[in-house]
Amino acid sequence: MITLPIAHAGHWLVSLLYLAPVVILVGALLVARARDNRLGDEDEDLDDGVFAEGAFDDDLGPPPRA
Amino acid sequence: MRPVLLACAVALGLLACTLVVPQDGLAHGLVGKQDLPIPRWLFAWGAAVVLVVSFVALAILWPKPRLERESPDGVPLLRLPAVAEPLAGLVGVVLFATVVYAGLAGTQTETANLAPTAIYVLFWVGVPFLSLLFGDIFRALNPWRAVARAVAWVAGRGGGEGLPDPMPYPARAGHWPAAAVILVFTWVELVHGGGSDPSTLALLALGYAALQLVGMSLYGIEPWTRHADGFAVYFSLFASLSPLHWKGTQLRRRRPLVGATRLVALPGTVALLVVMIGTTSFDGFSEGDTWSDLAPDLQRFFVDLGLGQGAALEVAFTFGMLAVVLLVAGLYRLGIQGMRSIGGGVDAAQLGRRFAHTLVPIALAYVVAHYFSLLVYNGQSVGYLASDPLGDGSNLFGTATATIDYDVVGPNGIWYVQVGALVLGHVAGLVLAHERALVLYRRARDATRSQYWMLAVMVGFTSLGLWLLSAQAP
Repeated sequence: MITLPIAHAGHWLVSLLYLAPVVILVGALLVARARDNRLGDEDEDLDDGVFAEGAFDDDLGPPPRA
Repeated sequence: MRPVLLACAVALGLLACTLVVPQDGLAHGLVGKQDLPIPRWLFAWGAAVVLVVSFVALAILWPKPRLERESPDGVPLLRLPAVAEPLAGLVGVVLFATVVYAGLAGTQTETANLAPTAIYVLFWVGVPFLSLLFGDIFRALNPWRAVARAVAWVAGRGGGEGLPDPMPYPARAGHWPAAAVILVFTWVELVHGGGSDPSTLALLALGYAALQLVGMSLYGIEPWTRHADGFAVYFSLFASLSPLHWKGTQLRRRRPLVGATRLVALPGTVALLVVMIGTTSFDGFSEGDTWSDLAPDLQRFFVDLGLGQGAALEVAFTFGMLAVVLLVAGLYRLGIQGMRSIGGGVDAAQLGRRFAHTLVPIALAYVVAHYFSLLVYNGQSVGYLASDPLGDGSNLFGTATATIDYDVVGPNGIWYVQVGALVLGHVAGLVLAHERALVLYRRARDATRSQYWMLAVMVGFTSLGLWLLSAQAP
């Protein structure tokens, strides 16, 4: 007997509902990023100064404390 | 129709379809035991809202790092006599020997033998709970470490030159051996057909202890235990979240989560944490309908390649487990790549190691959520197994006729604990990530922006966890 994929539609529909918050959040982030790109990032020239001094000096340890 | 309107229409359609399909009908005729006031998926939405609100609150109300700046030593609470540590080690050795003996000499019926319950419930699930509450107690109980220390002590007192100096632990190995140990252990538990056989477990335990003794003799007791003893590393990670920690025999108190900020992420640390989360996720996934639909097809595929039915099923489960581990790794990588979009030019691996500790509370949340019921129900079986460890009808402590009380926590109670653990664990992950970002980034605004994608990852992990739990729920 052939089982149609629709037989499991209930599972997939409920699964999609669990995915919805992630999709909404990722969508919002993508929209925000697109808007930022359209407006131009005013801080682009500060690219090299994003991180605090010495933040990655010791790569394998926790960051240095103040 | 505009794309946004179309998306809204599809979402509303899905919502309507789901609301008219009865929950019990979806569970393949299983009789529903939970009686929840709202559908389970709505808990995932609620959890996502809690995480977003927490994120906003952190951005507004937590502008400076606190946990990262706090001393990990804390304040002393009490000091035990020096003899407590070797005594705890002795207890660990006795427990280990009892479990191994029961596995080898007792009945091979897994539910009647002490070994499977002791290893999979008390050790694998119980010790993480205890580590969260009381700090790294396994360090003192660790039987192979206790044996190695006893040997070193005897050799040191025996005169002569004692034991030769150990070699330096290879830095490149980092936590990779620990990640491999956890992956193999969970493979035995979840995939291997004979993974619950008492004698198989006993032999594996003996083999593991022998391997640890060889490793400690080559690279030193502490370096090996801290890096390559998979279980010691696994439990110590959970203990780093605890408000209590041990410095020798002194018990000290500190703010919860402070220990995690001091995690030194070595090569393999991220892999270890991803394996911890991924294998627990697969445990839940493999009990759900999606895997039940998928596994026979995969099994048939491997049978067609020439494998026997049993081997094909094991290979299918192995692929499934590795796929879920890779999915978790991909989710984490997504968060890290999102962080990189802020700028700064740091490579993803470096940034990933800096935020590795944020996965620790998530791993614990998954353990609590997935295994709480196992611990609460099956953990009670230690009552009769302690009296009859071999399953031969003994009654050593007069409790051999004890039974499991399934009313100790109801199905609704289990569900609320699971949801609470997942939400709390992910909020803790957000706090740790926010703190680390405040330390790493020059400006608070960049720190917050860098965490947008991490928030998406946390919501993703929470939704995944709740989806897996709902698939298992009665």
